[in-house]
Amino acid sequence: MADRGLEDLLAVLESDMLLAYDRADSDALVRLYKRAAILKEQAGDIDAACFYFTHAYVFALEAGNAESEPLLGKLVQYGRDAYPANR
Amino acid sequence: MNVHAKNPSNDDDMEYLSDVLKDVNLAKGLPNRHYVDPATFEIEKKHVLFANWSGIGFGKDIPEHGDANPIDFLGMPLVAVRDKDGSINVFQNTCRHRGMTLVQEKGKLRGTFRCPYHSWCYGLDGRLVTTPHVGGPGHNTHEDIKRDELGLIKIRSYVWRDVIFVNVSGDAPEFEVYAAEALERWKEYEQPFAHGGQVSSFKLAVKTNWKLAVENFCESYHLPWVHPGLNSYSRLEDHYHIEEKGKFSGQGTLVYKQLRGSDGQVFPDFENLSRQWDEGAEYITLYPNVLLGVQRDHCFAIVLEPKSIDETLEHIELYYTPKGASATDYEAMRNKNAELWKTVFEEDVFVVEGMQKGRKGEYFDGGKFSPAMDGPTHMFHHWVATQIEKGQKVDT
Repeated sequence: MADRGLEDLLAVLESDMLLAYDRADSDALVRLYKRAAILKEQAGDIDAACFYFTHAYVFALEAGNAESEPLLGKLVQYGRDAYPANR
Repeated sequence: MNVHAKNPSNDDDMEYLSDVLKDVNLAKGLPNRHYVDPATFEIEKKHVLFANWSGIGFGKDIPEHGDANPIDFLGMPLVAVRDKDGSINVFQNTCRHRGMTLVQEKGKLRGTFRCPYHSWCYGLDGRLVTTPHVGGPGHNTHEDIKRDELGLIKIRSYVWRDVIFVNVSGDAPEFEVYAAEALERWKEYEQPFAHGGQVSSFKLAVKTNWKLAVENFCESYHLPWVHPGLNSYSRLEDHYHIEEKGKFSGQGTLVYKQLRGSDGQVFPDFENLSRQWDEGAEYITLYPNVLLGVQRDHCFAIVLEPKSIDETLEHIELYYTPKGASATDYEAMRNKNAELWKTVFEEDVFVVEGMQKGRKGEYFDGGKFSPAMDGPTHMFHHWVATQIEKGQKVDT
């Protein structure tokens, strides 16, 4: 039942993501993908979490959103991205 | 008609430019193929426009950090972007992954470039920042994707007098060397200036080869015939040639009169100019395609965008002192000044379009220059011919 609840939450988030895409609202996409990532992370599905973290990170980079740093930190923590050499 | 005249357009001799390279009194102009032949247009693109410092746009179009402007330069996709420190970078507007165009339309980048295809992200300095899912879903690195080797291709660029110049080939001398004589000649004008706003920006689409717009701009010979209004106060004998071989050419006037507003007011002058500029003004073409003018109270820059062998888009921008550009007191004068210049440039359209049509004449041989009056025009032809010969030598 817990999984069912998670999937329902994700379905709502993904529906909101589509609306955010329609509005080209990068900041909303950062927020929604990050929430989805955290839900998957808490459920122990790190691959799925990193998929969502990646999208949150990309939209944060595009928007100049300060979330990009901690999101990159998450991805690096899981070995999924790298800090720039001259950081 | 002399039907036995040699048809110069059929002359495939590699030495066909030798007549252009003679002294002005003996020279002929560039032959027809340089105005009507698409294959020669491609040669000019490579050896004249890409091999040198060409104008592609203006800094005023990207005034703030993150402003990006995609520019099609002779079919090559470029993007000019204003970085955090105020500098302008020009990149090939092509993602290093699948060659997708990165920036589709003018706008503001708040963070990075994001390719709309697979979302590879690049910093405003061109650095490749991330490559999402490149190692599989949720894996953004791969040992064979070396980000430090996959940044955006940077095109050499330099901004002078608000014009964004690029050297696509990457091997022209540094701009400060390339344009040293022009920079020195107009060093008094190296001071703050500002664009006059929307009314001071206009474009003319002209059915002519880009070089004919240069050639017409370089010489004062036509002024009393084509611009009789201009020459009611600026006579032919009040003009002089500007000739810097291999660099730029143009004309100067000794009788520049300031525009006066309805109550006699004039635009504020640029600061600390020498007496030469009290009634002096100069107009040069910095080869290949940038036309510039300076006067005591305003200046202009024109970028000639070659759209095809016989189509040119003239991008014309007027600038003033910061006060002259923005103060509402001068708004009516800015409008009037823009209208005056527009009239002058429009008066030239029938000439440059007429010369283009004339070059369909099979027996036109490039034309005979007036040694007294056409020096600056011949100097441009000589420079183009030199670039073609130099480039062909490298190619062979």
